[in-house]
Amino acid sequence: MRKDGLQPVGDISAWSDSAVTEIYEKSKGAEFGLTRANFGGVLAEIARKYLPADAAHHDLHELYASLRVEELALARACAAGNERAWEVFLTRYREKLYDIAGYITKESSAARELADSIYAELYGTGTRDGQRTSKLASYTGRGSLEGWLRTVMVQEHVNRYRRQRRLVSLDEETEEGVQFATPESEPAIPIDSRVEAAIDEVLAALPAEDRFVLASYFLDERTLADIARTLGVHESTVSRKVDKLAKLLRKQILAALGRRGMNRRQAQEAIEVDVRDLRVNIRSRLAQETGGAAFSNKKAEAPAGDGS
Amino acid sequence: MAEIPKLVSQRLQTMAQLKDHPEPNLLSAFVERSLGKGERVQVLEHLSWCANCRELVSLSATHRESSAAVSIIPGSSGWFSWPALRWGAAVACVVIVGAAVSLHQKWESRPTTAMVEARPSVATKLGDDNATAAAVGGNGNHPVTASPVEMADARAGSPLPQVVPGRAKEPLAELQDGQPEKSMNAHLARSGSIAPGNLGNAITRASLLPRWTLSSDGTLQRSLDSGASWQTIVVSTETAFRALAANGLDIWVGGSAGALFHSSDAGVHWTQVRPVANNEALEGDIIGVEFTDTLHGKLTSSTGQIWITADAGQTWHKE
Repeated sequence: MRKDGLQPVGDISAWSDSAVTEIYEKSKGAEFGLTRANFGGVLAEIARKYLPADAAHHDLHELYASLRVEELALARACAAGNERAWEVFLTRYREKLYDIAGYITKESSAARELADSIYAELYGTGTRDGQRTSKLASYTGRGSLEGWLRTVMVQEHVNRYRRQRRLVSLDEETEEGVQFATPESEPAIPIDSRVEAAIDEVLAALPAEDRFVLASYFLDERTLADIARTLGVHESTVSRKVDKLAKLLRKQILAALGRRGMNRRQAQEAIEVDVRDLRVNIRSRLAQETGGAAFSNKKAEAPAGDGS
Repeated sequence: MAEIPKLVSQRLQTMAQLKDHPEPNLLSAFVERSLGKGERVQVLEHLSWCANCRELVSLSATHRESSAAVSIIPGSSGWFSWPALRWGAAVACVVIVGAAVSLHQKWESRPTTAMVEARPSVATKLGDDNATAAAVGGNGNHPVTASPVEMADARAGSPLPQVVPGRAKEPLAELQDGQPEKSMNAHLARSGSIAPGNLGNAITRASLLPRWTLSSDGTLQRSLDSGASWQTIVVSTETAFRALAANGLDIWVGGSAGALFHSSDAGVHWTQVRPVANNEALEGDIIGVEFTDTLHGKLTSSTGQIWITADAGQTWHKE
């Protein structure tokens, strides 16, 4: 028994048979040849994936209630190679796959190529231990199947773009008008570790959503409408938040610098220094996957200086 | 818009200590706002540091919204699968555009005799063989007070087809004769939008299908020309709409202060629906509306509540 008095899930298979049966019936998995035992196994796998071992039955109920069980059964039946399931899947999603691909790539041949490659992955062209492995087996019903397909396609497209970009030759880049900047002169001003620490402290203390808004707006250069769409709020809400955060950040950083022994004038000067004049740890930026501009911001970035 | 110091941008970028990326299941559920509060915060925490995942989420969200502006004519539903009727539906949709903009005003302001004279021109555009018959009808067999609404009713009902027998061969006439109530055209005709003089143009633009979207200021908009132009559909002047679901002829829009409106006739008539469960009304803003079919739907509110209906909004339960 947990400290909060709730009964832990423990062995998922021991969970209420009637509850599993109810979910199984709701999923209509039987139409696609999924047995109750198969589906119970899928549910157990999902619970293990998203819940801690000591999760309460209440959490399990909540998780299962949120699942798109019909779409989950369809996806898993497709992954298992059920022909009827594939017929239904293709009827429902084939056109959508091409529609999504067209939207992402903006070009018909690339769209077809992307959709075909995803379709191959969904069908499962590879094998593991002699078994055909379908990407649909990784769908867990947390969101809609269409939404999952959309995200998988976007992910594949971004990966392809990055792979291709690495292979772009110097000639091609020159033809595209990319200018290779001459190495910038050695930064004149060493960065004050107190400034770095103060900014990091303030950024880390922000709520995740605020930091998301800041990064989306100032780093990725997304529009207010884009950010609002992602967060499901109105554009004006994001606009107000950006303004408020910009002011708040400045105030909090100044305060943090004050705590580190700077007077107000020194602090103000410190945070107004142009980052391009500072020593930047390029190595740490390159070490992380996310360095550089966002994928959609396809303009080539000039190196920020070699300060490593 | 306010700026932040460049140093802050730079630290925001370099502070990222990325571990595992959320899998597509979680990212898509995040976009669809179907994660619980705890998981949503976890995903946001990751997104706030990870430009890659922000990219995925942003592209997914953009496409999701654009695909919500769906065609209101589903390819798989019953009578629309008949090609002739499908064309007919498209023709009628396009008729509304020209009619609403130009001829409707003119039609109302004309003397009654002018309205009568307009009828032969309709027949002429549809087929010369019917011109004489139409002229006969226009000269005396019908009340001269016919408004566009009455014209539409007449075509859906009895008088006009009798006067213009050849009309029955036209897709539009077949559509309205066969499905007077289900047809979007019939509904739209009753709204007073159909202008006979535009039928010729309509035929040439028959492939255009209506689409729906919400503008950034929260108004509902419809396009009848594949998104080239959008017209505002006034549902409520007091509500900023934030979520839309289009499912065949069924359109649902939700917005500020729990306002939810439903149209079962492609936006011609609207009904306000007030979700109530256990004597508790939905109070927050509606930020997500999803309907998998005409009966089953889900609302997401700005307060994080999920409201479910399984009977087209007659009853609701809160999750």
